[in-house]
Amino acid sequence: MSTVPISHRNKYLKFGIATTIIVVALGYLAYTGVQQSKSYYVTIKELRGMDNTVYTKRLRVAGNVEPGSIHRTGLHVEFMLVEQGNKLPVVYTGTEAPPDTFKDNAQALAEGSFGRDGVFHASELQAKCASKYAPAPQNAPAAPAKDMSQADPGATGPE
Amino acid sequence: MRRTFVILALLTLGLLSYALYEGLVAAPTEQTMGEVQRIFYYHVPSAVTAFTLFLINFAASIIYLAGRNQKADALAVSTAEVGVVFCTVVLVTGPLWARPVWGIWWTWDARLTSTLLLWLIYISYLILRRYSTSGQTPLIAAVLAVFGFLDVPFVYMANRLFRTQHPQPVYFGGPGSGADPRMTYALLMNMAAFFCFAALVVWLRFRLERAQQDFEETQALEALLQPDARSPR
Repeated sequence: MSTVPISHRNKYLKFGIATTIIVVALGYLAYTGVQQSKSYYVTIKELRGMDNTVYTKRLRVAGNVEPGSIHRTGLHVEFMLVEQGNKLPVVYTGTEAPPDTFKDNAQALAEGSFGRDGVFHASELQAKCASKYAPAPQNAPAAPAKDMSQADPGATGPE
Repeated sequence: MRRTFVILALLTLGLLSYALYEGLVAAPTEQTMGEVQRIFYYHVPSAVTAFTLFLINFAASIIYLAGRNQKADALAVSTAEVGVVFCTVVLVTGPLWARPVWGIWWTWDARLTSTLLLWLIYISYLILRRYSTSGQTPLIAAVLAVFGFLDVPFVYMANRLFRTQHPQPVYFGGPGSGADPRMTYALLMNMAAFFCFAALVVWLRFRLERAQQDFEETQALEALLQPDARSPR
């Protein structure tokens, strides 16, 4: 048991080679995948740089909502996406109202098609979330930062 | 052994309760997402716990492949089972959080897709272990586990390498990331509590698996020693 027979050693060698090939192949695929298609969404700049196929593709565009540009009429929302100085007017007509996090300066992602009129016609609207978590201002009504040690039986909140 | 278990279980329960308080009450409400951001204290610790369990499963599978160590195999089953539970928690809390803040339950971006794939890989692993009638089941499972684990670093890196709907990492991320120290504290408390809870369950499951292995070994030996009686009992 202590010495590994030749046949076994060959088996391990073959297994090692096969493993290496698989790992290298997967690594290569992952690497090239990163290079060519980071395109879960495109930026406004990339959208402008695309050839004529841009009008026929279904695309996702991301950017920030320009403050004060949101105009809602029921489920019809018009706003301006901004990304590094590039602006893109977006018209959203969907079946659902955008989430609450969709507001001025929020990161948003519109899915739809780019029209020849220069307007992006979106059928879906998603908000993107920042990865910076900050506490809400203390005096905000929606932040009942209750301290258990100071529980006041007379002043129970609406909750 | 039983006494130790009870003490550890009580400590874990205390830690879980404290972490629950920290996450739901003590940590400040996030300014843009509001109360729903508190899912963070469950979503992230579950993911980290699942990744850790899959890492142990990976190591145990290699040890099993190298020396056919029975204990390593028992540890591999235990960590995979508990890991799948935590991975399920990630896949349930994720959509619950996404719906109010992104406006959608699910999307096929790199982070979400690779996480679902991870869950499917370990579900396959468990199904294989459960229903394969081959005597080589632990070996086959170990090979699957070694390759299956490759998805874990991919999930971890997905929102760093690709543009995703899932936010960029809050910790170890780029500029413009991070969290309030009280939020980080609540997160770390929950992480510690989840780790203790997972360790406890893995320990129980491991002992059960060892008992099962002993039983099967005894049964096999008895069958060998009684060549006349084809099926003992």
